[in-house]
Formats: sequence, structure tokens, C-alpha cells
Amino acid sequence: MRMEDTNKSTVLTQSKPIKVKPLNKTAIVIRSTLFCLIALTILGFWTYDYKEVGLVEGILSTIANFTVMFTEPHFSHFTFTEGLYQVLITIGLALLTTLIGAVISLFLGLFASENLSSRKVSNGIKTIVAFIRAVPTVLWVLIFAVAAGLGSVAAVIGMTFHTVGYLIKAYSESFEELDEGVIEVLKASGANWWQIIWQAVLPSSITYLISWTFLRFEINFAVAVAMGAAAGAGGIGYDLFMASSFYLDLRELGTITVYILIFAILLEVVAIRVKRHLKTA
Amino acid sequence: MSNLLELSDVSKQYGQNTIALSNINFSVKEGEFISVIGPSGAGKSTLLRCINRMIDATSGEIVFDGVDALELKKRDLRRLRTKIGMIFQHYNLVERLSVIENVLHGRLGYKSTLAGALGLYTQKEKEQAIHLLNMLGLEDQIFKRSDQLSGGQKQRVGIARALVQDPKMLLCDEPIASLDPNASKVIMDYLQNISRSMGITVLVNLHQVDVALKYSDRIIGVSQGEIVYDGSPAQMTQEQIHHIYGSEAGELIMDTEEEKNHAG
Ligand SMILES: Nc1ncnc2c1ncn2[C@@H]1O[C@H](COP(=O)(O)OP(=O)(O)O)[C@@H](O)[C@H]1O
Ligand SMILES: [Mg+2]
Repeated sequence: MRMEDTNKSTVLTQSKPIKVKPLNKTAIVIRSTLFCLIALTILGFWTYDYKEVGLVEGILSTIANFTVMFTEPHFSHFTFTEGLYQVLITIGLALLTTLIGAVISLFLGLFASENLSSRKVSNGIKTIVAFIRAVPTVLWVLIFAVAAGLGSVAAVIGMTFHTVGYLIKAYSESFEELDEGVIEVLKASGANWWQIIWQAVLPSSITYLISWTFLRFEINFAVAVAMGAAAGAGGIGYDLFMASSFYLDLRELGTITVYILIFAILLEVVAIRVKRHLKTA
Repeated sequence: MSNLLELSDVSKQYGQNTIALSNINFSVKEGEFISVIGPSGAGKSTLLRCINRMIDATSGEIVFDGVDALELKKRDLRRLRTKIGMIFQHYNLVERLSVIENVLHGRLGYKSTLAGALGLYTQKEKEQAIHLLNMLGLEDQIFKRSDQLSGGQKQRVGIARALVQDPKMLLCDEPIASLDPNASKVIMDYLQNISRSMGITVLVNLHQVDVALKYSDRIIGVSQGEIVYDGSPAQMTQEQIHHIYGSEAGELIMDTEEEKNHAG
């Protein structure tokens, strides 16, 4: 007995510590990347050129600016209803581009998913779409502005373009998550492709589709604000641009920020409501 | 009785080296209840799917109800598939849809693209679906969402979906592999009943030898893509079971003994 016990303990002490996460190639790459990023961040702060502005001083005056913005907002260059109207224009831009994008993406997304289409077609669409996504939305707007001129038309086309790139990827991945068996059973009963899409594919993935579409709507709302400022697309973004760089009116900037915040929160609430309804219905 | 299905020299090869089926020959009479048994990887699922062309056989001839199945193109293939109902291990229901909507999916093969896509079913089709659900003891579940059902109930919906096709034959791929013994018995009893009372031919893949012995008119044993047994359950000996299952057999026989004890 004693002999056995000592034997066991020597075996235990001799054995190497057990590693749950093996140190393979991927782990090394991830770790070294993280290390580099941390080092660069520290180096960046270290060598920052603060010019004449002291760090503490800068932070304090920023806080003061924020206090002015949010405690003393006022209307000077537009009235309450005018502001509301401008926000609605911005929302309209976001809604329009999201809707057009969603319809196009739904159709192309079916052909982009490997389980519903052929590998060739799927890979073809996915490659093109990856390219569209790689170029930022703002750049697409500026590219289309060459032909259409800066303004709402270029904004709509450019934003729709990037939306399509984004939603095709999201939709087709949702379709590819689908249980292969459900498609098989309908095929086996003699159903054709369109019937399978409408009766099995769409009902099964509708919650994902809605989630992705709302997410893109939020992104498009933010982009629409920026487009108003950068591409002359109108809406609250243009007022933002004027208040900040033309009138230098901090208080009106505060008003505009509150407008945007309220609508962003409203959007979020609606999105959550719709999703919850879909889950239980 | 005439032959409903005839397979001659059917082979299936996946890629370069996997021979899933080699020279399969057998015929099925109308109304027969046949079990296909064999270890996993033997080719049972492939065999079943070759019959309704979910998988295309590499060579051979498959004649179903007087037509050469391997020759059929789109529209005729759809027609062939409407005559063959299929039931799966994982039920394969559209979970978000109601029970009756899932059952009515069995009618899609008969409908125009538009009517099918929009789910416009006739009153008669709906009545038939409800009739079948009643028959399968699901009268309280008709309008429930499918993900609220138990496994046994889901499989019964699967059976109703296959029956609403008015099929001549049912292909069942391990229909009870995910069910507990009680639910398994219910499902097998329904399948047997359907075969006897409606005269529908049933071809069922099974993993449990004792279930196959109990329910089938005939057993086909498959091993490594070949038929190694084709005969009545009564004539099946222990050696033949060993032959079908190879090295897996020892364990398997113990399993069946255990299940018998549980049941008893
Ligand atoms: N899609 C496929 N591609 C390649 N090989 C496959 C495919 N499906 C099945 N096989 C192979 O064919 C053989 C038979 O498989 P299967 O018919 O599923 O057997 P069973 O249903 O009896 O378990 C197995 O060796 C399996 O690996
Ligand atoms: Mg199988």
C-alpha cells in the first residue's frame, strides 16, 4: 500500500502542468498582436504633442463646454418645429436607404447563401459584396457625388450601396445557419425553390433578418447625420454643421444633440418592441 | 400483389473512394412493411434517399410505380416525390410555424409556385390535414407553434405531413432514434397501423434490431453498402445479426436484451 502511494505521488509531481489552452500558432499570433497594440497605445500617449494645452486644463475646459451644451441649450437659428422637421428628414434618409437596401439584399442574399444557391454564384456575390463593404459609406457617397453632385441624391445612392453590401452578408449568413433538414423535407415532398424560400427559409430566419435590418437602420441614422454635414444631404446634420463650424454656437449644438439622442433612443425602443413581439408571436 | 418499387444494380459512390452502395437489388410489394437495419455508415440513409432522388444513384435502375425514377426531369421528378412521403430522425419542422402549417407543407408539391409560396391551401386540403392530426392524436395541438411540442408529438406532425401528400410509400430515416422508448413505441405503432389500414408501403431505417424484429414483414440487412440479409424477421438468427453488424454486434445484442427488460 505505502509503496503504491509513494509511486502515485511521484508520478503526479513528475507530470507536467496540464495546459487547457494549447499554445499553438493562432494563440501566438493573437497574443503578439495584443502586445503590439498595448505597446503602441502607451507609446502614443507618451509621445503625444500637446502643444500649449495642458492635459488637466484641456479636460476641464471640455467639461465646461459640455456643461454649457447640455444645461443651457437654446434655439437661435431654427425653431422647435423646424428642428423636428430636420430630424425627420434625416430619419427619412436613413429609412429610405435601409428599406431599398433591405429589399435588394433579401433577393441577392438568397443567391449569396451557399445552401440555397450554387457555390459559384454564392462566391461570386460574396466577393463583390466584400469589396463594396471594404469602402466606407462616406467614400461611396463622395464617389457617387462625382456623377450626381454633392447632395441628397449622392447620399441616397451611396448609403444604399453600402447598406446592400452589409445586409447581403448578414442575411446570407442567417440563411446559411438554417437547418438543412427543413429544406430537405420540403424538397422531398415535391416543393420547388420559391415555395421552400417562402414557406421555410423566410419564416425560420425572420427574427435574424429584422434584427440585422434594425441594426443597419441605426447605423444609417448616424451616417445620415454625418451626410447632412459632410455631403450637403440636408437634415439635422446640416444644422449641426452650421452650429458647430459656422455660428460656433455651443448652446444650439446642445439642442441638436438632444434631438438626435431622443430619436436614437426612440429607435432602440421600437426595435426592442418589434423583436420581442416577433419572438412570442 | 404487384411490385411498387424495384431496384436493380443500384450503386452510389461519393467522390473518388467512398462507395456507399454497391449493386443493390431488391423489390418491394405494395403494402409491405420493411425495415432496413445495419451499423451506422452502412449506407441506409443513402439507400433511402436514392429512391426519391434526393441523392442521385451513380448507376443502376430504380423503377417506382412503373416509372424509371432515374430518368425523370424537374416536373416529373416533383410528381414522383409527391407520391413518396419522407420522415426524418430530427422531424425537420419549421419551428416558428404552427402545427397545421407544417402539415400542409406536404401539399406544396401539388400546388402552383405562387399558391404554394403564399400558403394558399384549399378548404379540402385543410380538412384533410385536420383529419390526419385527429387520427394521430394531435387534436389539441393543431394551432400551436411547432416548437412547443414534445419530440414524439413533433414526429407525429412529421407523419401527418407525409400522409397529407397521399403517398403510396413512406420512407422513414431512423424515425425513433431521438425518442424515448414510450414515444418510440407510439410512433412505430402508428406506422404499422398506417401500413395496414391505409395500405401504404413503409420502408424504415432502424438502428434497433428488436424493434425491426417486432414490427416488420421483412428485414433488409445492410453492411458496408451491400445487402447481406433479405428475409422475414422470423428466420433471422443471431449469427445473421452478427454478420450485419460485424464487430459492433456484441454491444448491440446486449442493448436489445436491456431494452426488452425495460419494456417487460
Ligand atoms: N454527402 C456525402 N459525401 C460523402 N460521403 C458521404 C456522404 N453521405 C454519406 N457518405 C458516406 O457514405 C457512407 C454511407 O452513409 P449513410 O448512408 O449516411 O449511412 P447510414 O445511414 O447507414 O449511417 C458512409 O461511409 C458516409 O461517410
Ligand atoms: Mg443514416
